Amino acid sequence: MDFNLSKEQLMIQQMAREFAEKYIEPVAEQIERENKIPEDILKGLAELELFGIPYPEEYGGAGGGYDGYVLAMEQLARASGGVAMTISAHCLALSAISAFGTEEQKKKFMTPCCKGEQIASFAFTEPATGSDPKQLATTAVKDGDYYILNGTKRFISNANWPGVIVIFAVDNETNKPTAFLVDKWCEGYSISEPWDKMGMHGGQLLDVYLKDVKVPAENVLAGPGMGYPILQLGISFGKVGVSSTALGGILAAYEEGLRYAKEKMHRDKPITKFQSIQLKIADMAIKYEAARWLTYRLGMLANNVKDPRQFAKEAALTKTFVCDTMVEVARLSIDIHGSYGLMNDYKVSRIYRDAIIGPQIEGVADMQKMIVAGVTLAE
Amino acid sequence: MNIVVALKQVPDLQQIRIRNRQPIFDDVPLTLGNIDKNALEAGVQIKEAQGGKVIALSAGDENIEDTIKEALAAGADEAYLVIDDQLKDAESSLVAKVLAAAIKNIEDVDLILFGEGSADNYSGQVGPRVAELLGLPQVAFASSIEVNGNTVKVTRSLEDCSEVVEVNLPAVITVLSDINEARIPSVTQILKAGKKPKEVVELDDLKVELPDQSPVKTISNLAPDSQRKKVVVKSVDELVKALEAEGVIGR
Repeated sequence: MDFNLSKEQLMIQQMAREFAEKYIEPVAEQIERENKIPEDILKGLAELELFGIPYPEEYGGAGGGYDGYVLAMEQLARASGGVAMTISAHCLALSAISAFGTEEQKKKFMTPCCKGEQIASFAFTEPATGSDPKQLATTAVKDGDYYILNGTKRFISNANWPGVIVIFAVDNETNKPTAFLVDKWCEGYSISEPWDKMGMHGGQLLDVYLKDVKVPAENVLAGPGMGYPILQLGISFGKVGVSSTALGGILAAYEEGLRYAKEKMHRDKPITKFQSIQLKIADMAIKYEAARWLTYRLGMLANNVKDPRQFAKEAALTKTFVCDTMVEVARLSIDIHGSYGLMNDYKVSRIYRDAIIGPQIEGVADMQKMIVAGVTLAE
Repeated sequence: MNIVVALKQVPDLQQIRIRNRQPIFDDVPLTLGNIDKNALEAGVQIKEAQGGKVIALSAGDENIEDTIKEALAAGADEAYLVIDDQLKDAESSLVAKVLAAAIKNIEDVDLILFGEGSADNYSGQVGPRVAELLGLPQVAFASSIEVNGNTVKVTRSLEDCSEVVEVNLPAVITVLSDINEARIPSVTQILKAGKKPKEVVELDDLKVELPDQSPVKTISNLAPDSQRKKVVVKSVDELVKALEAEGVIGR
């Protein structure tokens, strides 16, 4: 059992850390205020190939595997949860296309996205679905060589940027969920203003309105009625990104708490001299290490998925643990900061708002536990 | 134009802990020094403008085979490595001897670049010593380099002035950290670094013998003893005066 990172893995980690520290960290508060990632940051991420780390070079990717992806994402999220969330949602869509797409679909839709020229979206959620595919209300009606899509998608990341969007709709032939590859900004596609959410600013969530969107039949992913397996495996890959994003948040909260504890003086001594603070530091260290190795392991597992159900379990348990842990570590860090941690001048207040997002997205925590239990009990 | 950039493998200074004023090197990853990366960037920029290739040169223990990938990812075309356990922590005069012998083995070298000093010992000796051993002109503390045919115009940033000098090629130049901002390699550049050409030689191949005992012994290597001054001020005026007295502001 080797827990050492290879030189290449260390270099990918270091590259993302350097970019995040030099370019993202200085504008992190601006991203928070404006809920928008500056263009030059997106351009820099594209130049370093951070929009396509895990995917093969023939589809514009960097061939860095999901192990490289988790290492880089942790470092980006350490500086800005919103930046990491944007890439995570983008890769959720690309992973679904990578796993189920035809050669032509992969070349056409993945290539510009992996290169960062476009940003991808994944649209399952609707106003009334939650995580239940049986509640999908978006319809796809076959009309010759086309499908006509109508419906509303809710809380869709990256819906405002050009690129492919994977849309789930019930088609009228199979009466089952089917996934369609659609170019955003096509005729009939429109979006809402971004939701004013409490954290992960920069990673915008929007509603998508589909009015008679005409999609060629060749853009169906993996065939009509295949939406559910695509959703299940795609979301599992998505949890690799969500877990790495939360892991970076844990690291940031941990570092902020530790630094504050070393600097804050009480009766001429740093507060690290107090046992109650020491216990919190120990808790943060324990939780970070546990979350870190679980996430890195998920990255390795994602490189070679043999059994989608087993992978769904691993992704669900990792996502649950790491996202919940981010909430706990952010809270510990706030407790170390005391009242100062409540002030927006302190980074930890932003991390706390970011943290609370994780357990609620890409399947709420209880839903994840149902997946873990379901697979475990079936074993 | 063939440019050799000499790079030293050092422990990642960000990750060294200090205990009892002694640095702890256990499990600290190895990397290339930051100023060495500036020298590499200078070499890569010259290559991009003039054509030719950049050869990353390093001498050290077997770990440099991995560490040099950082240079190959950041634009070096190939690597020339001298690997021997004796080279781990070897002092400047010995390293210079080894590097000079290695450069003699590399064909048609036009320019040799170093950082002004290594990230760990910072002796600043290796570049000038190599120039001396090879009988080449040397220019230290370069803040800009401009190649014009067979000559190179170098601006040296010194404490109180800038000096512009011109030397004939081949020449040895040591660069300052502010000469450029070293590029960050992309994912594929990182992943392909290990596949670039690499020549590995041993001391015997270079016919270099190192003495059994180093001519320089490091007697101690202690972190500065920093003590809080515990000066209590009761007003901003007092704080300003105290900082002025320390020479921190108002100079």
